[in-house]
Formats: sequence, C-alpha cells, structure tokens
Amino acid sequence: MGRIIGSKTPIDDALAKATGEAIYTGDMKLANMCYGKLILSTIAFGKVKSIDYSEALKIDGVIDVLTYKDFPSDKYNSALRFKDHGIIKSETVVSETVRFVGDRIGVVLAETLEIAEKALKTISVEYEEYTPILDEEEAAVSATNIHEGISNKVATIATGADADKVAELIKSADLIFEDKIKIPMVNQLSIETFSVIGDYRAKKLTIYATTQNTFAIRVLASDVYKMPLNKVVVIQPTLGGAFGGKLEAVTELVAAGASIKVKRPVKIVLSRKESMIASRTRNGATIEVKSGVNKDGTILATDFRILTNTGAYVGSAVNVIGAMSHKLLKAYKYPLRYTGSPVMTNTPIAGAMRGYGSPQAFIGMNLHINRIANELGMDPIEMTMKHLVDKNEVDLLTFGNPELKACVVRGQEMFAWDSKKKEIEEFNNKNKDFTRGIGFGIGAHGAGVYPAHQDCINLLLRLNEDGSFNYWSASHDMGNGSLTAQKMIISEIITTEVADIESTEVNTETCPWNLGDYASRGVFVEGEGALKLALAMKEAILDVAVLKHKVNKEALTLKDKHVYLGNKLLCNFSEIAMYAQKELQKEISVLIDHHSIAGRTSYGAHFAEVEIDKSSGSVKVLDYVAVHDSGTVINRMGIEGQLEGGIQMGLGYALSEKMTFDEKGYLLENNLKKYHLFNSTEMPKIRTDFIETGDNGGPFGAKSISECAVVPVAPTIINAVANAIGKHTTSIPISKEEVLNIINK
Amino acid sequence: MTDCKLTINGKDYTLKVEEKWTLLYVLREVLGLTGTKEGCGTSDCGACKVLVDGKAVNSCSLLALKMEGKKITTIEGIGSSDKPHPIQEAFIEAGAVQCGFCTPGMIISTKALLDGNIDPSEEEIREGLSKNLCRCTGYVKIIDAVNIAAAKIKELK
Repeated sequence: MGRIIGSKTPIDDALAKATGEAIYTGDMKLANMCYGKLILSTIAFGKVKSIDYSEALKIDGVIDVLTYKDFPSDKYNSALRFKDHGIIKSETVVSETVRFVGDRIGVVLAETLEIAEKALKTISVEYEEYTPILDEEEAAVSATNIHEGISNKVATIATGADADKVAELIKSADLIFEDKIKIPMVNQLSIETFSVIGDYRAKKLTIYATTQNTFAIRVLASDVYKMPLNKVVVIQPTLGGAFGGKLEAVTELVAAGASIKVKRPVKIVLSRKESMIASRTRNGATIEVKSGVNKDGTILATDFRILTNTGAYVGSAVNVIGAMSHKLLKAYKYPLRYTGSPVMTNTPIAGAMRGYGSPQAFIGMNLHINRIANELGMDPIEMTMKHLVDKNEVDLLTFGNPELKACVVRGQEMFAWDSKKKEIEEFNNKNKDFTRGIGFGIGAHGAGVYPAHQDCINLLLRLNEDGSFNYWSASHDMGNGSLTAQKMIISEIITTEVADIESTEVNTETCPWNLGDYASRGVFVEGEGALKLALAMKEAILDVAVLKHKVNKEALTLKDKHVYLGNKLLCNFSEIAMYAQKELQKEISVLIDHHSIAGRTSYGAHFAEVEIDKSSGSVKVLDYVAVHDSGTVINRMGIEGQLEGGIQMGLGYALSEKMTFDEKGYLLENNLKKYHLFNSTEMPKIRTDFIETGDNGGPFGAKSISECAVVPVAPTIINAVANAIGKHTTSIPISKEEVLNIINK
Repeated sequence: MTDCKLTINGKDYTLKVEEKWTLLYVLREVLGLTGTKEGCGTSDCGACKVLVDGKAVNSCSLLALKMEGKKITTIEGIGSSDKPHPIQEAFIEAGAVQCGFCTPGMIISTKALLDGNIDPSEEEIREGLSKNLCRCTGYVKIIDAVNIAAAKIKELK
C-alpha cells in the first residue's frame, strides 16, 4: 500500500544472525565471570530436610553452593508486569518446600561450566515427601493445598451470557450436545534455551537475560533485593525465540542474588531438559462444553467450562483464565457463557505461550461444533458461519472490526472445500489402505493488552550528523520482527530505508519505559507509537528546515531523505542535523509517549486435508490454507513467516507435542527425541492470505498476527482426522496409536 | 588435559582439552566461536551443526579429541557480515531468518546439501534439513532460501 508498508522486508538483524555474529545472552562472557548450575528438586512435592554439598565444595574450582538460606525469602509473582501489579505472590528465588520436579532449591557456582556440572552431580538432597497432585480435576477438589493459604483452585472467572438464561435455552433446544476434552501441557520450545548473567558491582546490579519483559524483571529484582530501580539494569541481548516462555522471571533472580553474594558476574544457562521442566509451559486444560441445538443447526446457547492446569505456583494463573474469558465472545455471536478456573498442581509452572488461553478455548469450541455439525449431517463451515460475529456488529471500542467471516469465505475458496469434499469421497471409496479427510477451524486473539491494564510505550528517535537515525525502543524483539515493523513504519513517514535506522538492544537504563512484549503489542501498540514518533521527527526536521531556508512550513515535504519545497530540493537530513547543531545548538531528537485506547481482535480461519495410513494410524497433512484478518499488513514477509511458524507449532499441538507425567510427577517427554517438533519433511505445503480491511487504533490499520496464528491450527487438524476416520474424537494430541484404536473400534 | 590439534575454518589450533570435551564446548567455551549454538545437547535439534570434512554433523555429540586431522568449518568460516556467502544472503532475502538461533545450523546443513547437489528437488531440500529444527518459520521460507541459494551459486559458477 505504501512505499515500504506492505512490502517484503527481511528482519533487521538477519545479517548478524545468518553469519553467527549476533550475540545472544548465552554467548556472552564477562571478566571474572563464574558459572552457576541450578539445584532442582527431584521430587514433585515435599520439603527439603537437608542438602549435602560437602563433596561439591571439595572440587577444585567450586566457588560456593547457595541454598534457601542464602537468598531472600520475600515472595513475589514471576508473572509481574509492572510495579504494584496486584497479583498473588507465591514464589521465592529458591525454595525449601518443593512443589514440582524442577523446583529451584539452590545453585552451585564454579569457575567453569564443566566444573559446575560436575559439582552438581555430587550434591544430594534429602526430602520429606508428600503425595503429589498432578491433575487439575483432582487438585480442584483435593483437601491438600499445594500452597498454604491459597486454594488450589485459585479463582473463578465467569463472563458472557447469564447462567440461568443459558441453562434455560439449552433445556429448550431440540437436542443437547456435551463434550469433555482433556488437553495436556505443551512447551514453548524456543530453540534457544534460558540464559542469564547477573553482574553485581559497585552497588549496581546488571542482568543480561533471555527475557521479553525487562522492565518487569527490573521491578522484581528491585523488590526482592531491596535496591532502587535506577540501580538495577536489565538488558535483553539478541533473543532466540520466546513464544511467551520468556515473559516471566525464571533464572534472573537466582543469577542476580548469586552475584550479589559472590561479587562476581554469574552466568546460568539452562539445558534443554532444565528449560522444559524448570521454566514455563502452556496450561493443560479440562474443558466441559454443553450446547442446546435445534435440528436446523442453530445453537441456542453454550455453557463452556474450563479448568486450566496452571502448575505449581500462582504465576499467570488468573491472567490466562481472564484473557481467555472473552476470546470466544469475540468470535461467536450467540448466547455463550464462559466459566474458567486455574488450578494449581505439582507440575511445572504454566505461564504465557503464544495465544495465552485462546488455543485451548478454540480447541474446545471448534471440536464441539464440528461434532454437532457431523451428527446433524451439516457442513461444519455452514454450521459455524451461522454463529460467527459479523463485520461492524460488535463493540467497536474493544473488539474492532471483525472480518472473520470474510476469512472463512476466502479460505474456503482457496482450499476448494466443496470440490475437495467430493474428491475425498471418491478417494476413500477407492482406497483401502489410506483414508483422507478435511477439517476447518477458526480462532481469535487480541492485539494489545488494553483494557486489562495500562498499555503504553515511550520511544526516542535521534537524527545524526550524517543523516542516519538511532532508535531507542524497549520493544523486545524475539525474532518475530516487531522492531523491523516499527522501523518500516518510521521509514514510511520520514522517507528513509529500514537500514538507515539503527536500534539498540533493550536496556532499562538507556531505553524509555515499556511494558513487556506480550499480548501481540509489537505492531498494534508499539507500531502506533513508532508512527507518532516518526510524525514528530518529520515535524522537527521541517521546523529546522524553516529556520534554515526561511520558507513556509506548509509547502515543505520529505522525499528520499531530503527536504523539498514543492518540487525544489532544499537539503538533505545531514544538512538539517548539522544546521541544528551549529546554528541552533541542539540535537534533533524526539521522545513520544503512546498509550493504546482500544483492544482489537485479530481473526483466522484454517483449512486442512489429512491422509491417514490405515495400517499404522499415522497422519500426514497434505494441504493447509490459512486466511487471517490482521488488519493492514505492514511486513508481508514478516506476517507470512509468523503465520507459517504458528502453523508448525499448532500441528505439533494437534499431532505430536505433549508434556505428560508419571505418577511421581516426572516429565516423560523431557528431550527432543520424546517431545517431537514437526520437522521439514513433515510440514505440509502452506498457503496463506490476509483480509486487509484494516481497523483503527493501530498503525495504518494494522492489528496483530503472532499469537492468533496458532489458535485455529490444532482443532482444524483434529477435525480433519475425525472427518477422515468418520468418527468423533477429542484426543489432543492424537497419536497414531489412538487413530488406529478408533479405526479398529 | 591432553594436547589437541584442530583445523577450524582453515586455521590450525593447538589446544589443551579434557577427554570429555565436545567439539561444541571447545568451539564456544574455549575458542569463543559462539556462532555455533546449543539447542539441546542431545543431537536432536541441529543448532550446533558444523561441517566436518564437508559433512554436516552435530558438534554437541562429537569429542574434540576425535576431530584431529579433520577439516572443521563453523558458521564463522562460511562467510561474514563483510563478505556473506550466497547461502547467507539467500537466507536473509527469503525471510528465512527470524530468531536466528537455528540459522547457523540450517546454513551449515544447506552448505553440505548444495555442495553435494546443486539442483535439489523440494523433497531433497526437506530431507537435507530434516535434522535441523526451527520453531519460528514452519520451514517455508527456509526451503525458499535453499532454492535461492542454489540459483545464486549456479550463477557464480
């Protein structure tokens, strides 16, 4: 649409990454740095009776072993977003009571990583063991509280249609459908694990971390270690993927406290297994959904109930349930009541993961409606469409302008749903060894966090003497390209190229304040801020041009990094900067603040064809179409990449990824052999498209993509599998063994 | 500690290493060649791939001492920001780089693939990258990048 907006632009640090020159936290080494290895609980529930680390201390190169006696006992909530965020505090830096396999007990410090690893193996911990509670349904009614004084069922949030009205409508319907769906935890699994360096010196604490939430980590460190905020610096070097997993404090406070103790920089890098058990997961869930439906396929009302397994600490428990509470209402327009409760169990802590509750909610609804459609002999798309929100029909202040139906229509066309139906029927009639099926699913997710709480960013842009720009944005790019999108937006306005704008790493000491990067804020909120910033820079440049050339501002424009008076070239940006410095004795820099005044919703509709080998039960995805309403596309390369990556994640959710535990609470899928990510041979061909009507509140009409991308995937695949085998299934993920079981039933 | 002679990116190193040290440990912790990443340590993700005598292998599962006499190439030996290799350029142009953590390993696997087959089919590309996991891209743009790289290299020949 613009010169740069809508173009295909590579991520701004691609060259550094492709050459191996980008520096991630785990690549850093500071002078006099030592290495820490976490002592993690090997039982799921109990109390540490004693820790014997005498052998460790004898090893040459071991500096110290720190346990709960060496760290503050102040409780905090690692999901904190800002100072005085009123969320329940249940966590400590390290703990004497352990509540899951992987809970932090202490840290061993050594001169090298190798010595730290060796020393860790010699440490023995004696526990008083309690019986762990691993399932959310069990924990919700258990007499044992995992945390003293906090109910396992942390809260209950209900939204949507009135309970009595929903019950009455369901009762009055021709038919009643009920489904119960169990969803296991899954892992964000960024390829980079968790790393941190804590560096305390001269009464100042610097934390380099794999985080998407620097300013909140700063508050946590300041609160726990009783230091003024200006003496705590949190820096995010290049981040190797996060997907929500790096939103909460995981190892940051351990490295910080250890550094304060030994007065040396302390580096902690989690192994893959440690990252899987001792960081964050996506909530598991138990969904019970009940609808009253008339024979013509009209759903009169739905009662949707969900218990999430939020793991061993409160963390994001209530936030996820709260975020989830209104997502279904933004997609479906008939009476729907949502009741959700997060439940603590003795499993790894659940936190943020791409979609933040939406994937679970939309798995529930898409599977449920697909089953109803099948039993009524209706097309699932036709049935779903009757109940989706219309354009301009919802509250424009918070919901935005939904183009969900347009996504369905476009996708149905691209996928050739109707003709594919016939082709599949023919294929299945002829083929004895394989069976094919098609599936469909929809999803929604927000853009920005308002009105849940404040949603703002401050941004700074400087024009240099040579006409180049420096940009300070505490936008935590995780590889998703939010900074690139912001630079594109700025470039569009001030007529530069993305490469003309250099940004710093996120640093709480040098960057203006920002929230963490979650809730798909990167384009909708931060990008709108970047637009305001660029407009302010344009004004500042023109103001200097007016003084320099004694002309009227109204007639001035910017083009190709020059100031023009009508068609007449006046000067370049370097001359503006030099004039300002020499004649006006000032630098041209602008600082703006931006706060979001509206939450917006992004939508997607997905379509898949699968083929099942009847002898093995294995599922192959043959074709995939995804159409999204993300508003205006800022970076076509970026948005496609986000969507394609979201589909990879969702396919795993449907077919191969799960975190399950034995009766003692040990994670069974604790490495990448057992926890299977879709690889390049398993990925189907993907076709994507975007409905670009646009919306207000974001830059150039843009909303968001990254989280919404994953939401419709898993139910689309499960529905396609159900279609292929001709039987309803609610297994997530569905393994080939389960497929075989269902076929042979 | 044992003496160990390694040839990495055309440069000869004489180092003192422990028997248990992996090639990855030596690259990252001893030599500061941090372009090679560790994603799993169990030979499952491919982030640590390097070329050993032209073959893409996981450096997390190779003992450094066993690498004597072999020609090792890491991402730093493929190209630099001043002089990127056509494969690196292709990854950038195609949008195959997002978080970048799998990228060095992907580029190493691509190099091994294209050195042996400059005209790979899509199936061969997918197979050639099947031991490298990516969580960001869904592999779509990475496969595009391999095609672009093959075209660039052919043009240069």
